[in-house]
Amino acid sequence: MSYVFYPGCSLESTARDYRDSALAVSRALGIELRVLPNWICCGSTAAHQSDPRLALALPAKNLAAAGAPTAAGAPVAAAASTAVGVPTLVVCCAACYNRLKTANYRIAGDPAIRGQVAEVIGADYDGSTPVKHLLEVLSEKAVLSEIAARLVRPLRGLRVASYYGCLLVRPPEVMQPDDPENPMLMDKLLASCGAEPLDWPHKVECCGASYSITKVDSVRRLSREILAQARDAGADCLATACPLCQSNLDLRQREIEAQFGERFRLPIFYFTQLLGLALGLSPAEVSLRSMIEDPRPCLERRGVLPCAAGCGGASR
Amino acid sequence: MKAEIIERSGGFAREVEIASGASVMRCYQCQKCSSGCPIAGASDLKPHELVRLIQLGAREEALSSRFIWECTSCETCATRCPQAVELPAAVDALRRLARAAGKLTPDTTVPTFNDIFLGAVRRMGRVHELSLLAAFKLHTRSFGQDLGKFPVMLWKRKIRLLPAFVRGRAARERIFQRTREPQRKT
Repeated sequence: MSYVFYPGCSLESTARDYRDSALAVSRALGIELRVLPNWICCGSTAAHQSDPRLALALPAKNLAAAGAPTAAGAPVAAAASTAVGVPTLVVCCAACYNRLKTANYRIAGDPAIRGQVAEVIGADYDGSTPVKHLLEVLSEKAVLSEIAARLVRPLRGLRVASYYGCLLVRPPEVMQPDDPENPMLMDKLLASCGAEPLDWPHKVECCGASYSITKVDSVRRLSREILAQARDAGADCLATACPLCQSNLDLRQREIEAQFGERFRLPIFYFTQLLGLALGLSPAEVSLRSMIEDPRPCLERRGVLPCAAGCGGASR
Repeated sequence: MKAEIIERSGGFAREVEIASGASVMRCYQCQKCSSGCPIAGASDLKPHELVRLIQLGAREEALSSRFIWECTSCETCATRCPQAVELPAAVDALRRLARAAGKLTPDTTVPTFNDIFLGAVRRMGRVHELSLLAAFKLHTRSFGQDLGKFPVMLWKRKIRLLPAFVRGRAARERIFQRTREPQRKT
């Protein structure tokens, strides 16, 4: 299986660990992710707050390039084909994923918008390049059975609060999640790795996302709610599929604890890191050291990783 | 909520509807949006109040509200609205109208951030987080905020030091120029 991969700006920097673990997991499962050459930023929140045409044009430019023939005559991803030969664009960042799917939805749904976008990007794009989140790719039946076959380090007993946030699931008519109020895709994937997904109330609440720089007080208040609900549900850790969520919950966790007089100490994994560990990848291969809240205590407590010297527990 | 009814014709509501595609006149004030809104309790307005202001033609109050810069675009309101009012799209339109009218709430730095962000996309094709942050701090003189995180992030390899420059600057330039042209030709 081969796909065209759209990393997005965050995966080059703050979410480098997300990219590395996603690529490592895909490699382990025999899924090829080929980076879209010369991809550009999707425009993110800044574009849709500023100009609706720009917010469609930037994703459309990438989507058109993913489907277009290269100079050599072959599509960018000759092997990256679905049954009908249209390459599928795979995305990790929930924000990029949202902007790319929104562009497809609007362009395919309205000829006038398609015309406007064509005028801006100088090419007629019809909104048909399929876009999938890596979570969807890894949740396909064939991949799930591959995971089951390669499970060497089951996450048995690890209590995970799957946190989806906003952009993966809303608006539902565009994002088409399994359930916009109680999505289960990540829960099921992690359960297939042996983890214990939790039923908890803040799966799709907002963390403040893009205001991490401009309205920090708001981000702290919203992220605190999420961390508190996960802790009260008995979570060992959270799993995310979005660089902004991960960064708000992890990087700001200690300052949130200080401001509100709470204690969380919850490691914030990317779901790819947990999946990678289950598949037997090393902590370095899934970039555990990039996490701010140390994930080792909870992984050792649940026997996922062998205990460091002196802990005396059984190791796997 | 005090709102002076400025226009009876719904002129402002129509302006917002055209700019956003959101059918704000469909709202019958059930307040389901405000029940789920993450910032309703902390902002100066609740979402259903903002919609009411638009319906009543209270342009001034709507454009100068803090709410339009504090809305996180989480789409919870639109997801749950029984009347399918696309409020986040209307808020995006209000942000543009507020900027065009020079009605920015004094303490919002969101437009500055957006301009720096999009400027980077225009020049380089991608956003380089470190330079984005540095430029934002220069503009807003918020040097102290989050400075302590820098060493940790560097140590955790969460900072890319050098930006990437993507080819095709001329094509990007054209995209940005064309989107800056007047929106409505009709």
